[in-house]
Amino acid sequence: MFRNRNWFNRNLWKPKNVHSLDHLKYLYTILSKNQNVSDGNRGLLVETLRSIAEILIWGDQNDSSVFDFFLEKNMLSFFLKILKQKCGSYVCVQLLQTLNILFENIRNETSLYYLLSNNHVNSIIVHKFDFSDEEVMAYYISFLKTLSLKLNCHTIHFFYNEHTNDFPLYTEAIKFFNHSESMVRIAVRTLTLNVYKVDDKSMLQFIRNKTAAPYFSNLVWFIGNHVLEIDACICKDVNQLSGQTRLSDLIAEHLDHLHYLNDILCLHIEDLNVVLIEHLLKKLLIPMYIMSLIPRNNLIFSEQNEKQSLISTALSLFLLSQVFLIIKERQLVHTLANILLKGESDFIFETEQNLRITNNILINKNEELENELMVYTENSEFLENPLAVFLRKKNSINFDKNESVCHSFATSTYSINITDEEKEQRLAQDTQIQTGSFLQAIFENLHCRENDYSVLFALCLLHAISSNSGIGKSLLDTFIFSSGSEYKTKYSVQLIENLIQITSISCQAGCRVRLLTLELTIALIKKLVLIDGKSILLDEHYAAIIGVKEESTSLLRSFYKNEDIFLDMFEDEYYDMKKRSLNIEWLMMDCNLLLQPTNSPMTGVEFSKRLPCGEVERVRRAIRVFLLIRELVLSLSHETESQLPLTDRNTCISIGTSLDLNNSDLITCTVLSKDGNKTRRFLAMDSNQLILVEPHSRLLGWGVTKLAGFLQDIEVTGDKEESKCLHVIIHHTNTGSAYSAKFLFDDHIRCMAAKQKLIKGRAKARKKKMMQIAKLLDIPVSNQPSSSSLLPYNLFTNRHQPISSLLYSSCKQSQPSKIISNFVYSLKPQYTLNIKIVTDNVSETYKNTPSTSCESSSRVIDNSLNTEEIPLVNLSYKIEENIPPKSDKDETTTLNDGDFLHKINNINVSENSVEDDITDKVWELSSGNFPGGSVVITLERRSGSRWKEEWTIQYCAKFQVVRTSFVFFIELQKQRVVIKFFVKSGVKTAEIIPKLRAVFQDDCQSSTRIYE
Amino acid sequence: MVEPFFDYQFRLILIGDSTVGKSSLLKYFTDGKFAEVSDPTVGVDFFARFIEIKGNKRIKLQLWDTAGQERFRSITKSYYRNSVGALLVYDICNRASFEHIPRWMMEARRHIEPHQPVFVLVGCKLDLAQRGRREISSEEAKAFAEQHGMFTTETSAKTGLHVEEAFNAITQEIYSRIQSGEYKLEEGWDGIKAGFVRPNSNLDLHLIEAEPAKSPCC
Repeated sequence: MFRNRNWFNRNLWKPKNVHSLDHLKYLYTILSKNQNVSDGNRGLLVETLRSIAEILIWGDQNDSSVFDFFLEKNMLSFFLKILKQKCGSYVCVQLLQTLNILFENIRNETSLYYLLSNNHVNSIIVHKFDFSDEEVMAYYISFLKTLSLKLNCHTIHFFYNEHTNDFPLYTEAIKFFNHSESMVRIAVRTLTLNVYKVDDKSMLQFIRNKTAAPYFSNLVWFIGNHVLEIDACICKDVNQLSGQTRLSDLIAEHLDHLHYLNDILCLHIEDLNVVLIEHLLKKLLIPMYIMSLIPRNNLIFSEQNEKQSLISTALSLFLLSQVFLIIKERQLVHTLANILLKGESDFIFETEQNLRITNNILINKNEELENELMVYTENSEFLENPLAVFLRKKNSINFDKNESVCHSFATSTYSINITDEEKEQRLAQDTQIQTGSFLQAIFENLHCRENDYSVLFALCLLHAISSNSGIGKSLLDTFIFSSGSEYKTKYSVQLIENLIQITSISCQAGCRVRLLTLELTIALIKKLVLIDGKSILLDEHYAAIIGVKEESTSLLRSFYKNEDIFLDMFEDEYYDMKKRSLNIEWLMMDCNLLLQPTNSPMTGVEFSKRLPCGEVERVRRAIRVFLLIRELVLSLSHETESQLPLTDRNTCISIGTSLDLNNSDLITCTVLSKDGNKTRRFLAMDSNQLILVEPHSRLLGWGVTKLAGFLQDIEVTGDKEESKCLHVIIHHTNTGSAYSAKFLFDDHIRCMAAKQKLIKGRAKARKKKMMQIAKLLDIPVSNQPSSSSLLPYNLFTNRHQPISSLLYSSCKQSQPSKIISNFVYSLKPQYTLNIKIVTDNVSETYKNTPSTSCESSSRVIDNSLNTEEIPLVNLSYKIEENIPPKSDKDETTTLNDGDFLHKINNINVSENSVEDDITDKVWELSSGNFPGGSVVITLERRSGSRWKEEWTIQYCAKFQVVRTSFVFFIELQKQRVVIKFFVKSGVKTAEIIPKLRAVFQDDCQSSTRIYE
Repeated sequence: MVEPFFDYQFRLILIGDSTVGKSSLLKYFTDGKFAEVSDPTVGVDFFARFIEIKGNKRIKLQLWDTAGQERFRSITKSYYRNSVGALLVYDICNRASFEHIPRWMMEARRHIEPHQPVFVLVGCKLDLAQRGRREISSEEAKAFAEQHGMFTTETSAKTGLHVEEAFNAITQEIYSRIQSGEYKLEEGWDGIKAGFVRPNSNLDLHLIEAEPAKSPCC
């Protein structure tokens, strides 16, 4: 065969087309001529390697002969040869990058398999690169990661050699799990997950036997160290920005760890999970997290250093809630929840041991491998463990880099043998902690002391536990949802009382409970007691919550001011509350929560996550507290909101609506908009809105809405130069955006009229809303006969109004005294009751009154008269003896001449109830109309005993019945109303009577309040 | 005129049990050398060689060496499709490896479909057999080959005996099937490709050939 050498040289011309076989051939010649790397050809080689990757990818997709050429020339061997020379990071990086690109992009599986074959890749993986060079490190790790993405049950055999029992891709990668660069750590995690995902038995066996214990214990140790760092970071008062950034980084990193652990657990590889869970529980979760819940002075440390692995209680609550929010793996979370909720002392004993172990490790962490090995071999007779052999081998290769791996060996001594005598000794030493002490500790943290710092985390933890799908339902039912014995309730009484306590505290002025805490508390209450939207709350607790609502109302009342800003804030808070939904997982990523609660907005902490600063924020807070608790009460009583928002935007007139404007006041004007457009419009108003219309094209006297804006948000100013002109700014139009224009009227008079109308309209709209708020807050509004429709005296319309507001306004109307005593009575919900009213004296005046309230009253009377004839069991209660002589001065006694609020919760209306329609309506007997009578509360039974009670009513009476609950209150007047309760036959009335009696006599829940 | 270097390019695959000597056979064929110690093939390996057959035709052989181990079976499967022929390799001193030949044949046939592959049966380690460790007689192998209509030979990668002959035989058979029209060039199938004929042959490079082994029998 001829070989023309000159011809060869001529072919070194670079082909024009870089995407061609010829180009690869050209590159090949360069490579083969520059097999030895020198300073001179470095640049050329890098460029060649770069181009080779490019053309191979092109060939992979377009021309198979390109890869054939690569195969025939065994070009991969050139790469390996270059790598073996000390070629410097410049070439190394390019080589790794080229390989990375190849493995990432080659789709042809025969090509890919070829590249993976014959351990070339493995020899690259174990090649001793200079990892001190950041760039080399980065490309190396991403090369490994790319390879891991190619893993499947076929390709795993290229990497994992059954015969030599070696798996360099994995074992080399995990050496870097604790690398200082976060990108490297992330890549290692991704890689390990990709490896675990491959369902190959012998590979998993390898990982389980040779690496799982050291790797996982190393990981857990690392997380534990990290947590100690977080703890230290919190303890130092981190006010500087740098400290905050540091904390935020640490938390983010910790979250990454948890997600990583969860990812591993979610692969459900039983062998690995067992090891991982064991390490997690015994090295981290129990000794560090759970033990930190117990107050320090309750723990006796046999060694001083045990203390060192404890962290602040608040942090442990925070971290535990993160665990429960993120990790859903059944085995781990269930075990953990079991310990937390049951807190058996056996577990604690084990914990104590582990505490000791962890601490030893922490102390020894800087010592050399040999020392540690000694310590642990002494402790545990460990030498024969294959782990040790494995790790020693590893460590001897690269001692410096493997400090962490060495360490992992130390931490992997989870199977320490302790003799029985020792066990007993320790048992004697260790403090005995009561069963359930961890749960008690969590509940303990629900008490607000100086502030709500740890309360928030305790709430989060309870929330997280109760929402975690991995925890067995029966466990939750036993410890959170149920108190077990005496009450036979379906929730924990202790917990709910703690929660109500928090809501109550947050209603106090100057309290240190953040809005977020309140929001979480409310969410948790709902979670505990609402089952399919129905409340299972005990009456006494319901009463307590009603009481809290009163407190929140009272708090807000003290801030109530007839100022524009109050209304704006109120509405803003309302919409903000509706907009935001609570996301606890998201919330727990915020490291600011770990700092002591602040009140300064300058910290950059959101308002809901800090305390109010200044008067305005205090008002906002009071509004929000009121709205939150109001919402809670509504959902507990299974009612729908009827009073908020103050304006229902859906019923407002919107653009394009046709309106019948016959007989409406219309003012013609020309609208000059900012951009100079002139349009002729007619100005109209309704109670809420300013409306600009143009005449309807077909209907005479009708108009089509062109602009609608809320009157409450308008600003009107006259024009100094032109008397026919008005400047109008509307801050909120129906479309949401602000609107500003100049209105030009026909003459001065019309202009003045329009101005006056607008200003008046604005004032009126605001006043109306302020009255609505006042109504919500039970504040007496000045009585205007014309606005009677706004007052809560309409039949049916005030059905969902809070009782207290009914109470207050009616009281106000009759002006009986300064004092209203407000009691909440409760009945057990098991009984079906009906209410009937009987007046013993239907007077003439009553019927003559022409108001709607009179009609309702007469209906009541009709109903009651109809039902008079069914006497069953009468349960009566003397109220006269509690009514002291009328005295306006006696303002503090609980039973006063005031109002009695009765709340009977969860009464199911029996199907055969005599008068179905009265159960779902509101009647009101207003002052002066009621002819007098008595309220008789009776519980009746077909045969036998009768307990009857008559209340003398002096002023007026009002009560409310809704389908699921029965509410009424009586204001004392010199009139009488009779109310009867009927019990469904078949119910054991023997039980009812003592309960009713207990309730009626002792269950005064809310305190006296004085309205002035 | 340097180009074309070859008239046809055939792609062949070597299959057979692990340790029968596929890689050594191939190494001798492409390199003329015998390695006393060789690692088991991990995955696949690739070699190329030119060969001249009757009628002065130059053929380029692309040869896929495959791992015989069971765990690589799923990998090596993907190499059948683009092969036109397979060398069924067994160890003369290992009966099991011969008994597995039908299975290898079946597998190849199934994966090379719709093409009909050309097989040759190659016994390896003839040198060891001659020292009395033979487990398969030449007659038995011949009978099997005849039954399936294939060429068979016994080779030694150590001495190089009959190595060339085995590859020659399969190449010749494929070529004659092309001549007879049984095989056609197909777009998207790399089993058979036409030689590199370019009008502007100057742009092409020399392909560095593996030196043909100096086989004593040729």
